[in-house]
Amino acid sequence: MGVVLADSSIVVLALPDIYRELDTSISGVTWVLVSFNLVMALAAVPAALLARRTGPGRAAAVGLAIFAGAGLACGLADELTTLIAARCVQALGGALAVTAALELLPATVGSERRAATVWAAAGATGAALGPAVGGLLTELVSWQSIFLIQVPIALAAAVPILSVAKHEMATGVIEPELRRTGRPHLWANLALAMISAAIAAALFLLVLLLIEGWRLSPIVAALVVTVMPLAAVAGGKLADLVPEARPRAAAGAILVSGGLAGLAFLPKATIVLTLPPQILVGVGLSLVLSALTETALGGRAPQAIHGGWTISARHAGVVIGLLALTPIFTAEIDQQRHDAIDAGTAVILDSPINPLLKLDLAEKVSDRLEEERGKVPTIGPAFEPLPEDSAERSEVEQLQSELQDQLDRGATHAFSTSFILAALLGLIALFPIGLSREVEL
Amino acid sequence: MRGRVLVLGSIVASLLLVGAYLAAGGSSYEPEQVQNPCQPRPWSNPQSLSEIANQFSVSALDGAACQLGVSRETLARALATPEARERFTKKYGIDDEKLAKAIRAGLVRAVDDAEEAGALSPLIAVPLRETVQQIPLDQAIELVNDAESVLGNVNSFLGPAGDILEEFLP
Repeated sequence: MGVVLADSSIVVLALPDIYRELDTSISGVTWVLVSFNLVMALAAVPAALLARRTGPGRAAAVGLAIFAGAGLACGLADELTTLIAARCVQALGGALAVTAALELLPATVGSERRAATVWAAAGATGAALGPAVGGLLTELVSWQSIFLIQVPIALAAAVPILSVAKHEMATGVIEPELRRTGRPHLWANLALAMISAAIAAALFLLVLLLIEGWRLSPIVAALVVTVMPLAAVAGGKLADLVPEARPRAAAGAILVSGGLAGLAFLPKATIVLTLPPQILVGVGLSLVLSALTETALGGRAPQAIHGGWTISARHAGVVIGLLALTPIFTAEIDQQRHDAIDAGTAVILDSPINPLLKLDLAEKVSDRLEEERGKVPTIGPAFEPLPEDSAERSEVEQLQSELQDQLDRGATHAFSTSFILAALLGLIALFPIGLSREVEL
Repeated sequence: MRGRVLVLGSIVASLLLVGAYLAAGGSSYEPEQVQNPCQPRPWSNPQSLSEIANQFSVSALDGAACQLGVSRETLARALATPEARERFTKKYGIDDEKLAKAIRAGLVRAVDDAEEAGALSPLIAVPLRETVQQIPLDQAIELVNDAESVLGNVNSFLGPAGDILEEFLP
């Protein structure tokens, strides 16, 4: 279940590699995430109904098998359309496995309430840990490995469930008590959708900023964003101190928004400055996701159906966040790239270096722009080889540093508007959280 | 009670973070804006031929970019290679004639600026101004890109009169 719920955040770190290797655009690669989340959002509730009809054991086993098979297809995909199609199938299997697992959990952990808590914690932990796992696998093995590794994990998870499935088939017992499904908790699910949009943006945008904007390797970016899950663990301890769900959800939404606003106003392109905002987002996501999931599931039966609604809300939120923010930051990256290159060229033109060297640099910078059209360019190669004359070499190195500073400024500023909008989404979630007062755990 | 403290603590932590980042310049961390090429750019006091050539090129780029309605920086990159020039003319819908006219106008502005700054004597400026208004596109681009070698060999550029005029360069 954790693997399925963590899927989106694991894949985030691989997106820059997929983007380069499959030669697509930022908008195109976003669909690797959007397709999975869209299908999860649409399929979660029907999958929950199916799980109740066929039996949760059988549904979970079949779901995990589909998830594993499609994961294999994702790992073998050599073009974007194949990858996206496989991701859709993977999401169908994932929806079936996750909703069925929620139906099986009470028997395993003792009560429906405990099952809801475990389920919410698995979701929050998966979302927070995913990027680190994805970054390590992408850097140490390949982007394909993040999909391929899901295959044995999903199959291993299916093994103990097979005995439940066999029992269901042998006895014909599908569901001991087919209760009527109550209405989903509208406000909690609405708040979940909005906060998920904000959190998805936090992960997706931060990873792109670190890898594509600041040119960090996936493994370094993974280490940087590991601050979020660590903070989420601390947030979990904080949550234990406050039993009421609503203040926890409100505090979480405020912290997520505050962290995102901090990322929008980074005063310099350095890793250290991303840490305090990440701590706020991490603590916030731990508080808000668990509180809202517990509220959405609290006192409602059957768990699989209401769990299906929360899955649907969370993944719909991710889709909304990605689809709303991707065109904004894609356009901003393009604009900021132009501004940064102009500012960098101005630095070269106004420098006292030899005019012929200037011309040579302008030519190489122009070539880099052409090679990396639509992306934030790596400017280092334009300055190689450095002049042998030490005075000239020092001037050129100074120029390179100033030009890189302009690119860093452009890359960082390109994400500001999107981070601000994501922070607003988090704040808007406070309205449904405020209206969810009728259900307190 | 604990819930209220948690919410208040979240608000304070968020405001402190955002306030600190804004105070550290977070709202203005963006690429520096380039200067409008139509605005005059002051010449520093040039001491050598290399410095004159540098400022001459910058003035010429400013003048041409102003005529074409693009930034000086965009034009500088466009003139770096024939391929870059082709991409530039295609993107902005500029033909060679219009480009040549703009660069000649830029060179005239550079001569004017150099003369005004005392970097070129009127004896050099007048024939140079006349010459740059008629030179072909490729030579005009060469003059913008490599003013030093052209200004350093005024004799070959202006013909026999250049031998006499060259001694008026610093």
